Amino acid sequence: MAAISLLNPKAEFARAAQALAVNISAARGIQDVMKTNLGPKGTMKMLVSGAGDIKITKDGNVLLHEMQIQHPTASLIARASTAQDDATGDGTTSTVLLIGELLKQAEIYISEGLHPRILTEGFDVARNKALEVLESIKISIEIKRENLIDVARTSLKTKVHAKLAEILTDACVDAVLAIRTPDKPVDLHMIELMEMQHKSATESTLIRGLVMDHGARHPDMPKRVENAYILTCNVSLEYEKTTVNSGFFYKTAEDREKLVAAERDFIDQRVKKIIALKKKVCDGTKKSFVVINQKGIDPLSLDAFAKEGIIALRRAKRRNMERLALACGGSAMNSVDDLTEDCLGYAGLVYEHILGEEKYTFVEECKNPQSVTILIKGPNKHTLAQIKDAVRDGLRAVNNAIEDKAVIPGAGAFEIKANMELQKYKDSVKGKARLGIQAYAEALLIIPKMLAVNSGYDAQDTIVKLQEESRLSPDPVGLDLSTGEAIKPADLGILDNYVVKKQIINSCSVIASNLLLVDEIMRAGMSSLKG
Amino acid sequence: MTTREILTLQLGHYSNYVGAHFWNIQELGFDYTGTKKSECNSDILYREGQNTKGQITYTPRLLLADLKAALKTLPASGGLPDENIQEDFHWNAIEKIQEPKAEKNEFLRDIDTKAASDVISKKYTLENDISTWTDYLYTRLHSRSINIIKDYQHGNENVSFDLYHTGKSIWEQEFGETFSDKIRKYVEECDSMQGFQVNFDCTDGFSGLALSSIEHLVDEYSKPILAHPIIASYFSDNNPTTQEERDISNIKDTIRLVNIAFSIEELSQHATFFVPLCTGDKGWRKPGNVRAFEYLNYNSELYYHSSAILASAIDTLSQKYRHKSNFYTLSDVCTDMTGFGRKMAAASLGLPFAMNESQYLIDYLNTNTKPIYTPITPSCKIATDKIFQLITVRGIPENYLKAPMKEAREQMNLPAYKCNNVKEMFELYFQANNFLSATNVTVCEQPLELKTPYPQIFSKSLNKYGFISEESNLMKVESCPVIAGYHNGTFLSDMIEKLHREVSRIKFAKLHKFLEEGCEEAEFKERLDKLSEFKDNYEDDFEL
Repeated sequence: MAAISLLNPKAEFARAAQALAVNISAARGIQDVMKTNLGPKGTMKMLVSGAGDIKITKDGNVLLHEMQIQHPTASLIARASTAQDDATGDGTTSTVLLIGELLKQAEIYISEGLHPRILTEGFDVARNKALEVLESIKISIEIKRENLIDVARTSLKTKVHAKLAEILTDACVDAVLAIRTPDKPVDLHMIELMEMQHKSATESTLIRGLVMDHGARHPDMPKRVENAYILTCNVSLEYEKTTVNSGFFYKTAEDREKLVAAERDFIDQRVKKIIALKKKVCDGTKKSFVVINQKGIDPLSLDAFAKEGIIALRRAKRRNMERLALACGGSAMNSVDDLTEDCLGYAGLVYEHILGEEKYTFVEECKNPQSVTILIKGPNKHTLAQIKDAVRDGLRAVNNAIEDKAVIPGAGAFEIKANMELQKYKDSVKGKARLGIQAYAEALLIIPKMLAVNSGYDAQDTIVKLQEESRLSPDPVGLDLSTGEAIKPADLGILDNYVVKKQIINSCSVIASNLLLVDEIMRAGMSSLKG
Repeated sequence: MTTREILTLQLGHYSNYVGAHFWNIQELGFDYTGTKKSECNSDILYREGQNTKGQITYTPRLLLADLKAALKTLPASGGLPDENIQEDFHWNAIEKIQEPKAEKNEFLRDIDTKAASDVISKKYTLENDISTWTDYLYTRLHSRSINIIKDYQHGNENVSFDLYHTGKSIWEQEFGETFSDKIRKYVEECDSMQGFQVNFDCTDGFSGLALSSIEHLVDEYSKPILAHPIIASYFSDNNPTTQEERDISNIKDTIRLVNIAFSIEELSQHATFFVPLCTGDKGWRKPGNVRAFEYLNYNSELYYHSSAILASAIDTLSQKYRHKSNFYTLSDVCTDMTGFGRKMAAASLGLPFAMNESQYLIDYLNTNTKPIYTPITPSCKIATDKIFQLITVRGIPENYLKAPMKEAREQMNLPAYKCNNVKEMFELYFQANNFLSATNVTVCEQPLELKTPYPQIFSKSLNKYGFISEESNLMKVESCPVIAGYHNGTFLSDMIEKLHREVSRIKFAKLHKFLEEGCEEAEFKERLDKLSEFKDNYEDDFEL
């Protein structure tokens, strides 16, 4: 009897072998759910809620967030895997598969009486070796468009339809390259993702400028201007009643109107200052003027702007103020007192696009945009959501490659290589720890196996084929999903992120070891903790 | 005439119950024939839009949040007709995972198929059919309105969304970003917004979420914020039978209590004006006994019932700043009610304003000895002296005011007889009854309309128009006069005192769940101190 049951007779508990069985079955359960999603040929999952809401995805991270996981062990694995996504943007499915497989392999040895502690020690050694192998097959790259395209494509193909992946690949790579300044970390927030429920997903594009999800709120403002000065500001241009006057003190609407008029004047002064600047810089030239304000602009102020042919947008996103300065130049103003031409940005083209009740304002043809927008189009909400998730991952993949200045061959090449190296290495290790290495080596093969199964090939056939090929070839060998034969992934441009793999290896080993070392699971009611 | 728009935020399950009734009352009160004179400017709460097919939509300017699986039959897109366009290329190999289709109850089936007028006149017994607020929601929402917190499931005992700090951390994640972007989109559409209304559950994680969003509103928009922290009328663990259940109930009560205290403390920092609401008389530890309304029989265990009462109160109270004349705005309400830093006020409701059908108002007010309203703010007794109050009365016809000269007889002797309208008479009434107080009365002609799916909770002695009649009535009550008010004064220090005392009795060490979420003992102490500082605002002997 477990000690806990002396303290709390109602506590549920599971010990030793039983506890392990619980953990292993949970890990394998979640693995079963996710395994069909791995790789470009993996299936999509369509989740339909009771009320008919649809979500289509094959992104492991999204799936884990959508599924309501009740089992404590499974939810632990899920949380670890989504943490993987937070850190590197990819590799969730692989993490889940690998943890499941490590436990499955371990189960075989443990059922034969091996102590879990010895296995985990083996895992530890194997992990270090695997990291060495990873280091050895790393391909250093120059940061050039061609090199990054391959990484982005490999990542995106595992998330969306191949046709769509091609389009998004270009968009992601160009976006990151546009905002990147050499030797500085890239701030991906400077790439705006704008959704537009319109037409088809294949029309998603990169806009070298900014797209905002609102438009001018005055019918007389121009819908399209060229050669525009852009004034970005954070100044309230709407009349807000001061809080001093109270309903107890004035009785009639007329009284109130008088007060309003006096206070209105204050706002009018600000509007006049902006108009004065516009006159100074635009009069006599063909240039036009656009005001983008983070605060509100009320109808009277809009009216004044419209009379001068100025486009004015209100309530811009806080982050867009920063983006505008990067895309068009100029700086965001917090007051209208010292406006000069230097504060203004420039865009070659500003126009409005109306879609149902949604208005979009495009700010394009900027001189040297350091902030860009990926315009995501799709016919319905779930497609938009899916593309948005994919684009985020694609951007992360590109960014990872830039930060690593390296990539690794994909298509299961690393796993095959590491498996072989570990098998060799195992013989040099003394004692039972080598069993842990053996288990680890086997477990790695789950990735190429699942890639093969998901593409309709036999897992064992493929592995044998790949291992043979790998023995002959000095370069890493991977699986061609369209033929089932061995290929050299680097030649075909199937490249993965180095940091993602590294992270997978590290986190899987740790979590699997932790789960193996659990020898008692208890669930005690709250009655022992009086509040 | 410009519309002074209001954006409503509705956070939490019970608040959504209240909200569902509130929006039903709005929508069923719309007049499409143009014959009825409406006093409310519906554009204040609603927005006109267009779907992708170019059809005009008219939906609440609303953002609501609830947990996963709380929506049942309502799609997260708000329930307006779907406008899905097919893909132009096919996905290969899709594995479909479908939850069982949620069953619609009779009422929801009827709104889908029948004409609105048939549904409104039909009688339902929805009490047994309702498991969530969407089960009686008549209104359809904009696709922007609904926000689901995916990390927590409604009704899940294992992982529950029950801590103030959990709500705060949800806001820090992606949820907060999308939510604040949606707020911005709504505000961008408004020409001259008057402010925000935030109704939220202050007993669970939504309290933290609401306070984070209020903080965001303060930072981003300089508009008044009226908040209603709401405590549900009943919790499923309120009637424990075994010792173990009692212990669990105790722990849950403690957590709820702390959430309430944190909410009130932080509201006192950020909100412009706030009024806690609950149909139970105590609110904390347990919601307590039901607030009694003489002509209502309601079951406090049914959210469907108790939330209707709160919705009626919010609807009546907001008449003031939703009136077509634009004379009074949210910021006026806030400044009038929050002198001396007393940002919290109490609310009251008289539902119905129970006059006899053959009685004149003058006689009723003259002879009536009972209070004309019931407080709906927990743990508080509204004082009669030294208070500020905003009273809204609706649905008392002018011909009920006083007898005509010829028949007046002894009415003539009352000073109130010189009052020429309902407003004057109420002003006089409050002047006489509340010593050293300032009262602002608003009168609306329209009564509160009680169309299906408003619950049938009225006593048999009310007639069709909500007045007391001698003979027993089998007719459904279709409308009723209502009185509601906000009251502020020194009496509220009592309520904060009770709350503070109750929370200080908790040992922080027992709050290990809070500790896990990153709430340190120092923070707990500091919040308590701030709460008692806030109480001091009510203590000083300032007079008018």
